[in-house]
Amino acid sequence: MPLPAAPLRRALIAALAAFALAGPAAAQSPTPVIAAAADLQFALAEIAAAYTAETGETVRLTFGSTGNFARQIRAGAPFEVYMAADEAFVAALHRDGFTRDAGDLYALGRVALMLPQGSPLEMDGTLADLAAALADGRLNRFAIANPEHAPYGMRAQEALQSAGIWEAIQPKLVLGENVSQAAQFALSGGAEGGIIALSLALAPTIAAQGTHALIPESMHSPLRQRMVLLRDASPAAARFYAYLSGETARATLRRYGFLPPGAAM
Amino acid sequence: MLEVDLRADGPIPLAARFSVAAGELVALVGPSGSGKSTILRAIAGLARPSGGRVAAQGEVWFDADRGVFLPAHRRAVGMVFQSYALFPHMSARDNVAAAMGHVPRAARPAQAQALLAMVNLAGLEDRRPAQLSGGQQQRVAVARALARAPRALLMDEPFSAVDRATRERLYREIAELRARLTMPVALVTHDMDEAARLADRLVVLREGRTLQEGAPQAVLTRPASPEVARLIGVRNLFEATALAPDAEGFARLDWAGLTLETRARAAHGARVHWVIPDGYVALHRRDRPSRGEHENPVSGVVAEALTLGQTVQIALRPDHAPQLPLHFSLPLRVAQRNGVAPGVRAAVSLIAEGLHVMGGPGA
Amino acid sequence: MDWQALWLSLRLAFWTVALLLPLSIFLGRRLAYGAFRGKGLVEALVTLPLVLPPTVLGFYLLVAFSAQSPLGALWREMFGQPLAFSFQGLLLASLIVNIPFAVQPAQRAFEAIAPEVREAAACCGMGPLRRLWSVELPLAWPGVLTAMVLSFAHTLGEFGVVLMVGGAIPGETKTVAIAIYDRVQAFDGAAAAQMSLALLAISLGTIAFSFAMSRRVGRRLG
Repeated sequence: MPLPAAPLRRALIAALAAFALAGPAAAQSPTPVIAAAADLQFALAEIAAAYTAETGETVRLTFGSTGNFARQIRAGAPFEVYMAADEAFVAALHRDGFTRDAGDLYALGRVALMLPQGSPLEMDGTLADLAAALADGRLNRFAIANPEHAPYGMRAQEALQSAGIWEAIQPKLVLGENVSQAAQFALSGGAEGGIIALSLALAPTIAAQGTHALIPESMHSPLRQRMVLLRDASPAAARFYAYLSGETARATLRRYGFLPPGAAM
Repeated sequence: MLEVDLRADGPIPLAARFSVAAGELVALVGPSGSGKSTILRAIAGLARPSGGRVAAQGEVWFDADRGVFLPAHRRAVGMVFQSYALFPHMSARDNVAAAMGHVPRAARPAQAQALLAMVNLAGLEDRRPAQLSGGQQQRVAVARALARAPRALLMDEPFSAVDRATRERLYREIAELRARLTMPVALVTHDMDEAARLADRLVVLREGRTLQEGAPQAVLTRPASPEVARLIGVRNLFEATALAPDAEGFARLDWAGLTLETRARAAHGARVHWVIPDGYVALHRRDRPSRGEHENPVSGVVAEALTLGQTVQIALRPDHAPQLPLHFSLPLRVAQRNGVAPGVRAAVSLIAEGLHVMGGPGA
Repeated sequence: MDWQALWLSLRLAFWTVALLLPLSIFLGRRLAYGAFRGKGLVEALVTLPLVLPPTVLGFYLLVAFSAQSPLGALWREMFGQPLAFSFQGLLLASLIVNIPFAVQPAQRAFEAIAPEVREAAACCGMGPLRRLWSVELPLAWPGVLTAMVLSFAHTLGEFGVVLMVGGAIPGETKTVAIAIYDRVQAFDGAAAAQMSLALLAISLGTIAFSFAMSRRVGRRLG
C-alpha cells in the first residue's frame, strides 16, 4: 500500500518544529560552563563552592583532559572559561582567535608517584626503585595519563625518560584518558602504581587509598598552568574568572600542592 | 450482472471469462492451483491481472486497455474469506458495522443487528470472534460482506473449515438467504458435490483457464472434454472408435470390441472419448424381471462393492475388457437382495441416453 | 545522585520517543506491507545503528555537526550555537541511534496481522488510513509500545555516542550515563553506584515489559 504523502509530510514538519523547540532555550546559558583540566577535580570543586557561598552565583564545572577540551573548543563547544594544565594549549587557542586574551598563569603543577595500599613498589620519587621493579618483575602495570593530549601524561613520559626506563616500561603502561582516570587505574588494584598530579594525590579521598612521593622538578619540563576567558564569555564568567585570581582561590590551590605562579619562572 | 474477463501470464496464468446474472450463484470449481481464488481476488480488487475487464452492474472496476483499476476499498464488493478474516478486536456487531461506511453512523448498530439476525445470530452480537464457533464466525463473515450493500458477493471456499453437520446447515441457510439476495454471487469451491448443490451454474477451471460453463447437471452429465470429466470426478471415462452410424444417424461405438448404441453423433472412424454417469448404469436385477430389451448390455464380474452408509459403490469388470471397470452405485438393500458382492457375476445396461460422446482423444 | 543529569536523560528519552513514534508507525508499516525496490536497503539501514560501534557513529556525527559541514554551519547560522555540545545535537544523535529499536518491533507487530484481515478491511470499504486506524493499530499497538519503551530505555543508557558528540556539559549534555562515568573518575563511588542501580532497575523493567507485550501480540493474533 503506498504511503499517503500528506500525513507523512505533516508529521515531518511537526517533528522538525518540535525538534527545534525541544530542550533548553537561549543561546546564552545563564550559568557559565568552566572547562577544567582533570587535575583540578577536587580543588576547583571547593573553589566553586566557596564562590557560590560568597556571591550566590553558580558555575557549571566539567573536567577532562586539557588537549580534549582544546579540540572541543575549536569545534565550537560552548565553554566560557578554560583552565588548562599546560599553557601551550592556551597559546595555540589565543593565536587562532578563540580566546579573549592571552589568559593568566594560575599555578605550577607537580607530578607524584602514587602507590596503592600493598604495592610491591617503594616510595621513591626518583623512580630508581621503579627501574629496579621493572627489571626484577615486581611491576606488571603502571598508569599514566595519555601523553598525546594530557599534560600530566606528557610530564610523566618525560620523567620516565629522565629515569631512562621509558622504552622498557612501554609494554606495562595503562593510559588514562585524563590524569583523573590515570589515578583511577593506579589505585583500582589493577596496577602497581602510577604517575599522577600532586593535586589529586593530596585530595583526601585519594590520599586515603595509597601513598605518594613527589617527583623532582628536574625530571620534567614545568607544568605552567594557564587559564583564559574564551571569546564569547559572559559577564558572569568574567566574574568567576576574577575570583580565581583572588586570595581564597589561591589558598585552596596551595593546599592542593599547586605552587603559586610566581614561585618559579 | 457481473462480467469477468481476466488475463495474466504468470506466475499464476489466467484466461478466464464468464458472467454472473443478478441473483444467480455461480460456482468456480477446479483443482488446487487452478486460479479460482486468484480470480475471486481479482474481482474484489485485491489483485491486479495484466489484462482483462471486470464490471459489476454497469460499474467498470477494472479495464486493462483503458488503464482503469479501482482498488478494493473503492469497489462495492462483499467478500467472504476462507478463514473468515474477522477483526479479532471487534464484536460481531462492530465487525458488521465496519462495512457500513455508506450508512449514517447513528443507523449502523441497528442495521448491523438486523443483518446478524438475518443470518441467525441474534443474541450473539456482543461476542468477539474468539468466543464464536466456526459456523457462527462464518455467518458473521457473510453478514459483514452483505453489510457493504455489494454489487457482487464473493465467497472463497467458505465452508471448507467447517465440520460436515454445520456445513449441511449452512448450505440450507445460504439457500434460504439467496431468496433475498439480488446481487450476483460467485462461490469458489473444490468440492463438486457442494457446487452441484448450491450453484445455478458451474464454471470449471484449470490453470486459470475456463474449460466449461453450464448448469451443474449439464456439466456433470455432458462434460465438454475428457479433461473436464476427470476434473469433475466422472469415473466412467473410456476411449472408443466410432463405427458406421445407425439408421437414425446416431453414432455406434466400438468399445474394446463391444458395440454400443448411443444418442450422440460422431464421425465414422473417429477416435473418441465417452462417459456415462453412475445413474445411467442400470443393474440387471434378479428380483425384478426385465422389461423390454436391455440397452447396451455388459456382463462381468463384480470387483469391488464398498458400502458407504446406505449406498454400495460397485466396480464391475466387463468380460470383454476386464481392465476397464464400470462404476456405479446401488441402494444397500437392492445390492443385498440381488446378492451383489465381490466375485459374483452381474450384468448391467448402459442407458444410451446417458452415454455422452466427446470429440477426439484429449479434446 | 545527579538529579540534573537524570532529568536531562529523561527529557532526552522523552523527546526521542515522541519524535520517533510517527516513524515507528509509518516506516514499520511500510516495511511490513510494502514490496518496493530498495526495501532490502532500507531494512539494512534501519538495522545499521544496532551493529555499528557507537564511536563510529559518534565520529561521523561529530563530522556532520562540526561548523565546517553544511548541517553544522546551517544550524549555527539559524540558532547561533553549534549543533555539537547542545541538547539538540544529542537528540539528533539519539534519534539515529534508536531507529532500529523504534522500527523493528513495530514492523514485527504489523507483520503479525494476517494479510486476509487487512484485505477484509479493504473489502469493507476502508481506505489505507482508515485501515491503519481501525484495524492495524488496534492489533499492532503492543509492538509499537514495545518499540517506544525500548527506545526510551536505550536512550537512558546511551554513552559512547553522547560522549563523542556531547561534551558532558551539565544541564545541557551531561546525561546520567556520563554522570556515572564522571563520578567514577572523581572517586565518588557512592554516587556512581546509586545512579547505576537506578539505570539497572529501569533496564530490567523495560525487558520485563517488552516480554509481556510480545506475549500479548502473539496471543491476540495466533
